[in-house]
Parts: sequence; C-alpha cells; structure tokens
Amino acid sequence: MNSILDLILRLDCWLLLAPLLPGIINKVKAWVAGRRGPPVLQLYYDLARLWQKRVVLSTLASPAFVVLPAVTWVAVLGAAMLMPLGPLGAGLTFRGDALLLLYLLALARFGTAWAAMETGSAFEGMGTVREVSYAVLAEAAMIAAVLSLSVQSGSISLAVMLGPALGASAVLLAAGLFIVLLAENCRVPFDDPNTHLELTMIHEAMILDHSGPPLAAILHGAAMKLLLFTVLLVQAVLPMGQLKPWAAAVVLAGGVLGVTVAVGLVESLLARFAFRRVPLLLTTAFLLCLFALLVAWKGGLS
Amino acid sequence: MNHSNLNLLIGLAMGLNLLALGTSRLPALIRAMSVQGVILGVMPILMERPDWRVLLVAVATIGGKGLLIPGLLRRAMRTVQIDRELEPLIGFVPSLLLGAGGTIAALALTHLLPLLPEHAGSLLVPGALATVLTGFILLIGRTKAISQVCGYLILENGIYLFGLLLIKAMPLLVEAGVLLDLTVGVFILGIIVDRIQRAFDSLDTRKLTALHE
Amino acid sequence: MTGLLLGSALFLLGLALAVGAWWSRLWLGLTLAAAVAAVAAAVAVFAAGAGWEWRSDFLLGGEALHLRLDGVSGLFVVLAAVVGGAGAVYSREYWSDQRYPASAPRGRVWWSALMLSMLLVVTASNGLHFLMAWEAFAICGYFLITLEAKKPAVRAAGWLYLAASHAGTVCLFAFFAALAAKTGGWELGPVAGDASLAPLLWLALAGFAMKAGIFPLHIWLPSAHANAPSHVSAIMSGVAIKMGVYGIVRFSGWLPLPVAAGWVVIGLGGASALLGIAFALAQNDFKRLLAYCSVENIGIIMIGVGGALLARSHGDAPWGRLALAGALLHVWNHGAFKALLFFAAGSVLHATGTREMSRLGGLWRRMPWTAGLFALGAVAVAGLPPLNGFVSEWLIYLGLFDAVAGKQASAWAAMPAAILLAMAGALALATFAKAGAMMFLGAARTKPAANGHECGGWMRGPMLALAGVCLGLALAPVLVWPALASAASAWHPVSSGSLSDCGKGDDEGRRAGCPRPSGPGSQPDAVVGLASREANSTGPAACLTKDAVPLATLGWVQLGFAVLITAAATLLWRKVRANPLRRGPTWDCGYAAPTARMQYSSGSFAGLAAGWFSWVLQPARTLRRPRGYFPAAAIRLERVPETMLERVLQPAAARVMQVSTAVRRLQHGRLSA
Repeated sequence: MNSILDLILRLDCWLLLAPLLPGIINKVKAWVAGRRGPPVLQLYYDLARLWQKRVVLSTLASPAFVVLPAVTWVAVLGAAMLMPLGPLGAGLTFRGDALLLLYLLALARFGTAWAAMETGSAFEGMGTVREVSYAVLAEAAMIAAVLSLSVQSGSISLAVMLGPALGASAVLLAAGLFIVLLAENCRVPFDDPNTHLELTMIHEAMILDHSGPPLAAILHGAAMKLLLFTVLLVQAVLPMGQLKPWAAAVVLAGGVLGVTVAVGLVESLLARFAFRRVPLLLTTAFLLCLFALLVAWKGGLS
Repeated sequence: MNHSNLNLLIGLAMGLNLLALGTSRLPALIRAMSVQGVILGVMPILMERPDWRVLLVAVATIGGKGLLIPGLLRRAMRTVQIDRELEPLIGFVPSLLLGAGGTIAALALTHLLPLLPEHAGSLLVPGALATVLTGFILLIGRTKAISQVCGYLILENGIYLFGLLLIKAMPLLVEAGVLLDLTVGVFILGIIVDRIQRAFDSLDTRKLTALHE
Repeated sequence: MTGLLLGSALFLLGLALAVGAWWSRLWLGLTLAAAVAAVAAAVAVFAAGAGWEWRSDFLLGGEALHLRLDGVSGLFVVLAAVVGGAGAVYSREYWSDQRYPASAPRGRVWWSALMLSMLLVVTASNGLHFLMAWEAFAICGYFLITLEAKKPAVRAAGWLYLAASHAGTVCLFAFFAALAAKTGGWELGPVAGDASLAPLLWLALAGFAMKAGIFPLHIWLPSAHANAPSHVSAIMSGVAIKMGVYGIVRFSGWLPLPVAAGWVVIGLGGASALLGIAFALAQNDFKRLLAYCSVENIGIIMIGVGGALLARSHGDAPWGRLALAGALLHVWNHGAFKALLFFAAGSVLHATGTREMSRLGGLWRRMPWTAGLFALGAVAVAGLPPLNGFVSEWLIYLGLFDAVAGKQASAWAAMPAAILLAMAGALALATFAKAGAMMFLGAARTKPAANGHECGGWMRGPMLALAGVCLGLALAPVLVWPALASAASAWHPVSSGSLSDCGKGDDEGRRAGCPRPSGPGSQPDAVVGLASREANSTGPAACLTKDAVPLATLGWVQLGFAVLITAAATLLWRKVRANPLRRGPTWDCGYAAPTARMQYSSGSFAGLAAGWFSWVLQPARTLRRPRGYFPAAAIRLERVPETMLERVLQPAAARVMQVSTAVRRLQHGRLSA
C-alpha cells in the first residue's frame, strides 16, 4: 500500500509538475523584457491541445517516426524514476544506477535523432548533427560530475551520492552542472528555444515535422528532462540528507524554483553563442566538473 | 596557518587562470588578471599577523595590481580600439586543455618536490606552478600585445605566489622587490605598446617580423 | 563428458572440412552440429566450475598433445561456435553456389578450417601447438578474406592482413621460444612464481595486440574487414580479433606481470576506444565504419582487461575481477551485435551493390527487416539500455568507479579511462545514428538505393538468431554470470586462502597476501596439480557478491524497460491511428522544393565531431570550386586515410626503401674491382 502511494506521489511529481518549469522560465523572460508573457500553465494547455490533434506524417517517414517519441518519453521517465526526490528517495535504487540514468538519457537522444533523420530533410539533419556532436562533450562533463559525487560519497548509487554534506567541490560542481543543464536542455547560450531561424536551431530543428500526440510526448519529455537536471543540480550541491523530511522537501522545491528562475534570467540576459564557441563552453563545463572531482579527491585524502 | 582559507583563495586564483585562458575578450582577461592580483594581495594578511608593514604591502599590491595596472591597460585598449583576440596561435580550447592539464599535473606531482612540512598541505606550490604555466601559455599563444602583457602579469602573479613561501623568512623584501619589478615592467610595456601602435597602426605582434625602414 | 563433446565438435568440423567442397547441405548440418557440441562442452565446463584437461601420448612435432578447456577458453569456444554457425547459415544465401560457383565451395572449406583452428587455439596448452594452430588460423583468415580475388582492393587487403598477421606471429614466436627456454619445456600453464618471466609479457602483448587490432597496430583491420565478404567480416570482427584478446587475457593470467602492464593496457584501450570511434564516424563506407567500430570495442575490452591487470599489480583488489568480467561479457556482446550489424550490412550490399553510405537512403521501405535489425544492432553497439552493450559497459564502469573510490595510484588510470569510455559511447551513438540514417532513412539518394530488395530467409534467420542472443544477454544477464565467474576465477588461479577473505574489502585482501601460489605451482611440470587445486579453490566469484554486482536487478530493470517501451509505443500508435493519419511531403518548416540530394550526407553528418579529431584523422580534401559565368561541375571530396598506415608507416617504409636502395649500390655483383 505504502509503495503504491509512493509510486503515485512520485509519478505525480514528475508528470504533473514538469510542464510548469518552461512556463516559469517564459514568465521570467517576459518580466525581464517588460512584458506580461504567456500564462505559467501554457504548456499544459498546449499538451492538451496537441493530444487531441491529428498527425501529419511525411511520405518519407516510417511508422517508427510516430513511435520513437514514445521511446524517448519512456527513457526520460525511467531516468526520472531513478532520480531521488529529496526525502522521497528514488523509485528504484541499486548500485550503479547513476550510470543507467546517464545512458537512459542517451537512449532518449538516440530516439529523437533517429526520428529526426526519418524525414529526409536538411534542417533535421543539421539539428541532429549538432545535438549528437555536442553530446560528446556534455557526456564527458556528466561522467566527471558523477565521478566527483561518487568519490565524495564512496558509492555509485544515486540515493547515497546525492545525500551528503556540502563539500569544497560544491561550487565547482554547481557551475559545471548548470552549464550542462543549459546544454542538455537546449537553452541559451546553446540553443534559443524561441528562434524561428532553422539554421540556428538544434533541438527545435529535430522536432520540426512532429505533430499531434507524438509532439506532445516530446514536449512533455523535454520538460521532464529539465526537471530531472534541476533536481540533480539542487541535490548535488545542497546537503539534503542532513535535513528533516519536511525541511528537505521545502529546500528542494525552493532550489528547483531558484534554478528555473536562474535559467530564465540567463536566457534573458545572454545571447546565444556562435556555434564555434560552444565546444569551448562545454570544455569549460567539463573542466569545472573535473576540478570538482580533484577537489573531492584531495578533500578525502587530507 | 589556516590552510583551508588560503587553499580556497588559491583555488579561486587557479580558476581565474582558466578563465583567462578561455576568454577571447580582452576586458575579461584584464579583469581576471586584476581580480587574481587582488586575491594574491589579500593573502599575506591571512598568512601573517596583521602588522602595519604587512597591511601596507597588501594595500600596495591591491592598489597596484587591482586598480592601477588594469586601469593603464584599459586605457591602452581604448586607445588602440581593440577588444578581442581573434586568431591566437594556440587555439582557445587547446590552451584551456593545456592549462587544465598543467594544473592537474602540478597538483599531482607537487609531492615529489622537497617542501617544508608546513607547506606540504597547502596549494601554494601547485597554484604557483599552474599560474606560471598559464602566464607562459598566454605569452606564447596570443598575438595581441595586450594579451601578452596580461600573460606576463599573470606570470608575475605566479612568481609572487612562490615568494609567499618565504614570507616568514623575508617578509617585506620579497613583496617590495616584486612590486617594483612589476611597476617598472608595466610602464615599459605601456610605452612599447604605444610605440608599436604608432609605428604599425596595429598591435598584432606578428607584424613585428617585418621590421624595416 | 566435456572431452567427448569437444572431441565430437572437432571431429564434426573436420568432416565438414572434407565435405564442404561438394555437399553444401551436409556441410551446413555438420557445422551446426559441431557448433552445438562445442557450446555444450563449454556449458559443461561452466556448470562444473572446473576445467577439463587431456593429454595424449601422440607426439605432434615432438611434443605431446595437451588440450585444456577451462572458463576462459570456454567463453571463446561459445563465441566461435555461435558466430561460426550463424555465418555458415548466412553464407548459404549470401555467398551461394549460383552466384559464386568458384569461390563458394572454397569458402565453405576455409570456413570449417577457420573454426577448427580457432577452437584449437583456445584449447591448446602447449606452446608449439598453439603456434601451429595460430598460424593455421591466420592463413585461413587470409583465404577467406580473398574469396573475391578478382578485385584488386580485396587482394591488397589480403596482403596487408597477411603481412600484419605475420608481424604479430613473429613476436609470438619470440615469446613462446623465450618462454620455453626459461621454463624448460613447451608446456603452458600458470607460472606465477618466477618474476624474471615478466618482461616476456610485453612480447606477447605486441603479438596479440596486432591480431586484436588495438590502436596503433590496427592498420590491417579496416581494409580487411571492409573488403571481405560480409559473413567473413562478421566472423573476423566477432571472433578472430577476439583470439588476440584471448591471448592477452590467458597469458596475463598465467605469467607474472610487469608493473607497468596494467597502465599500458588501459592506456592503449582508452586510446583505441576514443580514436577508433572517431575514425568510424568519419568513414563513408559502411563496412569500414563497422571495422573501425570493432577497434573501439576492442579498446573497451582492453580497458576492462587493463583494469584487471592494474588491480593485480596493486594488491589484487576485487574491482579488477569485476572489470575483467565486464570485458569478457563485452567479448560476447560485441561478437553478437557486430556479427548482426555485418550481416545487415551484407544484406544491404547484396541488395544495392554499393558500400557508399552517401549513395543510399530510404531503404527501410523495401528492406524493413534489415532496417529493424540494424536499428537493434545500432542501439546495442551504442551501449544503450535496454540492450546488451549497456550491461557489459556497466560492469566495466562499476570496476573503474570502485578503482577510483579506492583512492590508490590505480585511480589515476581509472579516471581518464572512465571519461574516455563515456566519450567513446557518445561518439558511438553519433556514428550509428549516422549509419542508420544514411542507409535506411529519408529518401533514396541514387538509383541502386531505390531498387533494394529484402533478403531471403537464409540471411534473415541468422540475423534474427543473433538479435535473439543480444536480447537474451540484455534481459537476463544474470544467467551468464556463472560463465563469467568461472572465467574470472580460471584467469588467475590463486591459492584459496587469500581470496575467500576478499569479500570483506580491500585491506583484508591485501593483508592476506599477494597472490602467490605456494607449493607445486612454481614448477611447470605440476601444472596438472595446480589445475586440480583450481577446482577446489573458493574462486573470486565469492568476492563478486550480489550486493557488489546487482546484475539480476539490472536484468529485471532492463526487462521492465523493454516492456514499458513496447507498451508506450503501442499505445501511442493506437492513439495516432484513432484519428486518420494525413500523409504529405516533409513539411520542413515550409520548405518548398526539397530533393533527395539536400539530405545530410555521411561526410556532412560527421563533419562537426570529425573536425575536432582532424589532427589524427588528417582528411585529404579535393576541392574544385565553380568558376566563371558558366561553371563546370564543382567537386568537393574528402577522404579519411588510415592515418597510422598512410601517414606514419608508409612514409617510414618508403624512407627505409630509399636508404636500402642507396646501399644496394654497394652490392653490384661484379667480382673484379
């Protein structure tokens, strides 16, 4: 009984709260620009509308085009189940689940990339190339971050890794993970979600031809991925494990809100980087996570 | 000796090194170098009892490295109207990776050096080595004279860090000597930059190979 | 029992060799029966937990025959049997007697010879016989690669393969001769006590690395595997290069290690993994892409093996066995999915006649089975859950993470290895997204692609069987754990005392003493005695407890994902079909007139990431821009050479030839002055 309640609460958290984040980001951007902006619940309305619509399928695309967004969505949901939610813990914990999380996100990326290439279009190809290439550097940064957390806590299981106290490496890790969050979720300065210029798109270009329920699955999956990275960042940096359950929940919620607002501010205040500068920024993120690893290592030794 | 506070400051200085290596904008480079100078100026206060002499040196360092020299460089930058480093000899990503690699090597191999036991747990020596390496990379890898001057100044910061090891033995002499060195050096470099700009109408040091009447 | 099964497998293969030239159906039956018998023999060894040995009085070359089948050999026997059997079925349609009347019978004979010699290599326990079997196996490989000897590219690939193979064999001759001289006989077995034997391992490493295709020595691999017939490429990539891995694993287990061995192997593994997949991404020929991907996977296996060697040099920590288990599982996984990918590639080649990815496209419509199976293989090779590539990489990661957590000197090797492994995985995802997209998705770029046809049952069957093997290894990996544990314990036989403590942690294991078999182990004559002690030891399988390696949990989780993915896909499809689907041309943000040529080609797809590696890829560019008011055709060609061969070895060889030609003038043959 308890575990069913737990599962329901957890699914609610991930499925229902995730679409709130893009809404908050858009509201922050609007506020900085002096506008009122779309309602915070806009993505919910969009998802409901898309779910009712018909699908337009390209003559070049196979049935996999319609089905792969489901694979992507399940992969992100699976990763979300592995992520501990503060006092609630993770849906599933075992040694080495951090690696399963990283590779589930990679599976989500593969699904989106394969579906994008189905359309036989140049713009989708462009977006796919950029996404899978930059993912190489982002993966290096993520594995360095996971190594750093593992060295700090002595375990490879997420529930144990994301518990302990603030280490000296927290600031470095926070900076590195924030840059990776922006990269993986296609935010400025890597990719502008509001652009109309296909030649400058990464993620948007990959989903140009999707419509109806598959598009709803993709948008919801993207929102869940953003929530996943935000929760990871907050828990990696703040010492959740030492607080009482209610305090930890409040801190987690506040942290997620804070990071979302920060993303919104970054989107409003920075311009998208020229693509030739993106590898530099991702290398910086990798080096920040690497130095967090070395600081955690040294901290453990001395 | 309060190692953890000191190590935090040196860690920040090492982070500024990497920032200096990765940026192509000259104002950011000058700012990184000046903040690093301020951090290093604060360090003697943490390492020694705050004597009036130590305070004086710290204030002079912060004033010189944090305000005066960056001000001069910014003025030079405005005069020649250059604010970007566009085509470095060593690209930004390779120089960033080199600097990071050097920092890691310095951290890993410091224990091979014959240090005094009181310095063994501190990041002074690795930080100094990393900063010196960063200065070298900037000096060698950049083509604009202002970037090279900043590289030279970061190199001096590294040597200053080494000097902090001797703070107990020769507290004032080292600081004073370094500061003098620095001020004279920057004056001369300022003059040279001005001359280069007047003669060649550009600060690209590769053009200096074409010196003729 | 084991002996009977193995003996019958060898006998059946010999029979198949005899009849292959004339009766193809009988040959196929005999080969499959031999494969089943070999697998059964290996399973018997895994189940019994002890090795099997057989000595005979029959002298071959002055040495008594001595065969040994233990956990390590058993793994490679299963691999050879499964891929060999699948390839035999595949070749029935792919290299049929109708299309290739001259080379098909030859191919069958050499196939049986290859399988026979590979089984003998992994079971030989005498240095002389090992060398004989090794040489035979190399020659069989040559004849199989050059089945289409009419094409100059194939002949050149064959010569390169033979030359490289023999360069490795020379090192192995030196190794075995030195070993025989030092130990006083040709018998092979654990000789851990004698530290002076350690430098010999470098010779063995050089020879076996040449065969395995580890980075600087892989120069023969791309051209050989690309130009060989696809079923031959499958067995070469899937099994033959693993013979090199077998050699390294076997002799590093039996001989004492030089201190730097673990570092060198893990470094070479990391370099192979990253650079191999970078080369693969830049290829335009899909079989060459798959060949370079084999270099990457051998790199991953070597990272695991290197971890094991490193652990042994640093006090025999349990994470070493974990990394080794991951590497050995990856040997199986790679054999399965690489053979599947090569079979799918063969199907595409069979249908369209071209290996250039930029000439293909849109093949999913006429070849749905091939497309689907290639997609499955692509997900497996990229190491994505819920397929088998992820399981073995996960095991290797666990080993590396434990090494880092140990905070010893070995962590400095494990950290870069883990980072390189992650980067190689992301590049593999990019490579196979490219390969699948270029071949099967979008619109056909040229005529041959538009006329593809699906392969027949004989080719589809082995592909489905291998896909089944991949799924089995992915969803129930805990079933193969006994095999892996048996291999890990047979790898480096240790006296039972020090290992039963190792479940308690690093310190205990180290205090209990470095692995040093006491008693008769140091004399090679008592090898048999040690083998029977092996059977009694509480091997290191005890260290790898369920908590340390939650393989069963992972299996259930993967199964859960597979079920969820299928359910979600079905539900979404139903929802989409509830409202009638509208078909139209690709919208593409309202682009008015798209053509097939506008799609991303293989060079442009790889351009971004391959550009970061251009320092090692050294692409050769040909560019002719359009000029004038009525420009002629413009050309932009980019070709990625095999850098080690064309930019390092060939210039060096040319220099040597120059010098020796100059010196030749001294030898003018005139007797009078």
